[in-house]
Amino acid sequence: MKNVFHMITTTLLCFILLATPVLAGDINLSVAASLKEVINELSDGFARKHPGVKFVKNYGASGALAKQIESGAPSDVFISANLEWLEYLKNRKLVDTASIGTFTYNTLVFAGAPGKASSLHDLVKLERIAIGSPKSVPAGEYAMEAFKKAGFGKQLEKKLVMARDVRECLMYVERGEVDGAFVYKTDALLAKQARILFTVPQELYPRVTYPMALTVAGAKNRDADAFFAYLHGDEAKSVLAKYGFAPR
Amino acid sequence: MIQLSSTDYDAIRLSLQVAIAATLLSLPFGFAVAYLITFVKFRGKVLLEVLVNLPLTLPPVVVGYLLLLLLGRHGWLGSLLNKADIRLIFTLKAAVIASAIVGFPLLVRSLRIGMEGIDPQLLNASRTLGARWHDTLLTVILPLSVPGLVAGSSLVFARSLGEFGATIIVAGNIPGITQTIPLAIYEYAASPTGETMALSLCLVSVVISLAVLFLHEMMAKKMARRG
Repeated sequence: MKNVFHMITTTLLCFILLATPVLAGDINLSVAASLKEVINELSDGFARKHPGVKFVKNYGASGALAKQIESGAPSDVFISANLEWLEYLKNRKLVDTASIGTFTYNTLVFAGAPGKASSLHDLVKLERIAIGSPKSVPAGEYAMEAFKKAGFGKQLEKKLVMARDVRECLMYVERGEVDGAFVYKTDALLAKQARILFTVPQELYPRVTYPMALTVAGAKNRDADAFFAYLHGDEAKSVLAKYGFAPR
Repeated sequence: MIQLSSTDYDAIRLSLQVAIAATLLSLPFGFAVAYLITFVKFRGKVLLEVLVNLPLTLPPVVVGYLLLLLLGRHGWLGSLLNKADIRLIFTLKAAVIASAIVGFPLLVRSLRIGMEGIDPQLLNASRTLGARWHDTLLTVILPLSVPGLVAGSSLVFARSLGEFGATIIVAGNIPGITQTIPLAIYEYAASPTGETMALSLCLVSVVISLAVLFLHEMMAKKMARRG
């Protein structure tokens, strides 16, 4: 009996000691899914100049990321695809207000197989349209606002396939399971099969803005601070331009 | 306390529709397979047993992905269906198929237990009285399998209510068309402002599952009492 007790205690101790410690050289990024390639390239560039720094990258829908940060997920840098989710964290005092800035801008387009549609009007003829879930994906919120303002809200209701982020939308349309998807121009540029069918008129939705900020934990992290400054620099601007993001 | 929007009611309705359809769809196939495994001797029976149990051990997303490869527009079966203008992916039919497949092993398992509990003397008696195999099947085996059938059906029903991984891949998350309760909760859970709505739907889901499982336990007890 005593042996069993010892065995259990030793096993538990091993588990606790083997638990992954949060290393000092870690930078935790929570970034909107549409910035995946840009941030991958920038973090690689930064890591080359600063050996010993390790990035933990979390790409996803900005709303989902905000919820994770609120629930305590480790995060140093947050880049959202709309102002709403940064405001959300700011109101809950989870970001360092002094660090809030704008990373870049983007435009909303409708992508699909060539010939499917040429304007918002044509969408009512389609069967399935992929859109990021407006509850957590900014691209979906922008899209919904746009076609509601254009008067097509009711007609498009039952056609919408909800995706968990803008990249999943792109994946659906690449596979051909939907007729088209509302994605950002920069995502559509990466598509292999889908093409940009039309750009959503800017007057129908607010400008796609990517605010960025250090979280409260990130403000205390020296490496995160350095990376954040790097994101404001010229190299970042050129990588953004390379992927089609609008200049600041 | 419980707030449910109209899309939530849609989700509940769709979940029930899928669960009922999946159960009805899997019944004839489940019965046939259980009969084969229990009463018919043939080579390679182990292979059939393993195949039947496979959806139970495979991650549901794998089942979903394999179904997508099979039934998708460029898939093996899907391209043929496409020519006949039949479309399965991102429709409720796909959700029913996915649920039926993941629930199938549970149905066969229950049916086998029921069938194995049938007194072989009864089967021998029917054979000595001159009944052909199909006669025995319909008049002796089928009536005696009813408790196993009901228990298995309730398991498939319950499993369908909780089916998420395969469903989201082949049927997609389309509110009002294919968004079942688990998909709706997933959408709420990803949003910071969806807490109360998610909890309300969770509560509904738990209540329905409890009711179905209660029924299953009662049926299982009834089966045990008979044997």
